[in-house]
Amino acid sequence: MTGPTSLPWPAGSHPRSGAVGDGDLLALTATGDTAAFSALYDRVAPSVFGLVRRILRNPAQSEEVTQEVMIDVWRSASRYDAGRGSAHSWILTIAHRRAVDRVRSEQAAADRTEQVGARTAEVEFDQVADTVSTRLEAEQVRRCLDSLTELQRESIELAYYNGYTYPEVAQQLGAKLPTIKARMRDGLIRLRDCLGATRGQGS
Amino acid sequence: MTEPDVHTLTGPYVLDALPDDERVRFEAHLAECAFCTTEVAELRAAAVKLATQVSASPPPALRANVMAAIEHVRQLPPVVEGGPASPAVPRRFGRRSVLTLAAAAVAVALSGGVAVDQYRDRQAAERANRQVAAVLAQPDARTVHGAVQGGGQATVVASAQADKSVVVLRGLPKLPDDRTWQLWMIDQGKTAHSVGLAAGDLTQVVNGSTAGMTAFGLTVEPAGGSPTPTLPAAALIALT
Repeated sequence: MTGPTSLPWPAGSHPRSGAVGDGDLLALTATGDTAAFSALYDRVAPSVFGLVRRILRNPAQSEEVTQEVMIDVWRSASRYDAGRGSAHSWILTIAHRRAVDRVRSEQAAADRTEQVGARTAEVEFDQVADTVSTRLEAEQVRRCLDSLTELQRESIELAYYNGYTYPEVAQQLGAKLPTIKARMRDGLIRLRDCLGATRGQGS
Repeated sequence: MTEPDVHTLTGPYVLDALPDDERVRFEAHLAECAFCTTEVAELRAAAVKLATQVSASPPPALRANVMAAIEHVRQLPPVVEGGPASPAVPRRFGRRSVLTLAAAAVAVALSGGVAVDQYRDRQAAERANRQVAAVLAQPDARTVHGAVQGGGQATVVASAQADKSVVVLRGLPKLPDDRTWQLWMIDQGKTAHSVGLAAGDLTQVVNGSTAGMTAFGLTVEPAGGSPTPTLPAAALIALT
């Protein structure tokens, strides 16, 4: 029945248009839409898994926690509030919190039993840069990190990637507690400003 | 804790670097400090960018595990505005809110269709789900909406990269038994290509390429469909 015909179709009128974002997929997920959740999984799983594995190091635990995070996203999708930040940010916040909780409970258990076992060997990280925009963003973040002072950068990295508390960071860096608290904050402010300032320049 | 000291905790807080007792105290403060709430949101947006440095592909089996697991996980209901679990937060209405509202409209449409399909044929629905998800997941997927003459809405999600599109029809008026909805893709030369019939609301991946297609059309035709569209169309939506 596909008989092509030439017809005077008028040009379409005033469509509203926009890319399907993570937030859209999360809104769909909140209604129980498994297709949208599956699409969302494909978008965010590499960030979530990469972050969790960086913090936990242990591959099996990392898979376990990544699974917990994604199930949590499914369960609490309706609680996401777009007014408080992007969907990607919300999901990575959940991921970071869960990974850090796991590290600390393991740490507590290890301290109790006085285990001194060697740290899990450093894993070879396969960097995923599947799209050009992802790669560009990663480079931009790297450049902005390099613009921080040494103490700002180290404080932030030890907390974010290693799951250290600020007293642990202070201990590690031999600095005073108020100093580390302040460096974390002013370092993040500088990072925010740097990322915001370069965003408009069309990388 | 003195006031200025509390404010500097936004940094360690978004890095999850506060010991438990301090975190609990800070969260209590956060619920009453609009300034801190705004700063936390902004610094968090910056902090999560650190994850871009360590992105890594999860093992494929993990995806299957997660998808299987959610089948058994009940979703939380939304928090009712003003309820106890909803702290006072300054809201900014912008492009995102509008997008989210639009998405919510599509959400209702999409999930409704999927539910009915699942009732009829679970496997076919899962296949359709995967196909729809594959299009939605494309980074270049774009949505366009348009009203349908007589009531209802048509939404098209198209991805040039996947060379596919998904059509969602919702709230269409009921047609007499001897009439059917017919879906068309219109190319640059204004030639209409039939891409299927619909009895009523539906969510489906459109047959055929989207390359060179400039508009989606919906018409009312005699039962069985027509070789050429009967004008005027019930809906005509530009894809670009």
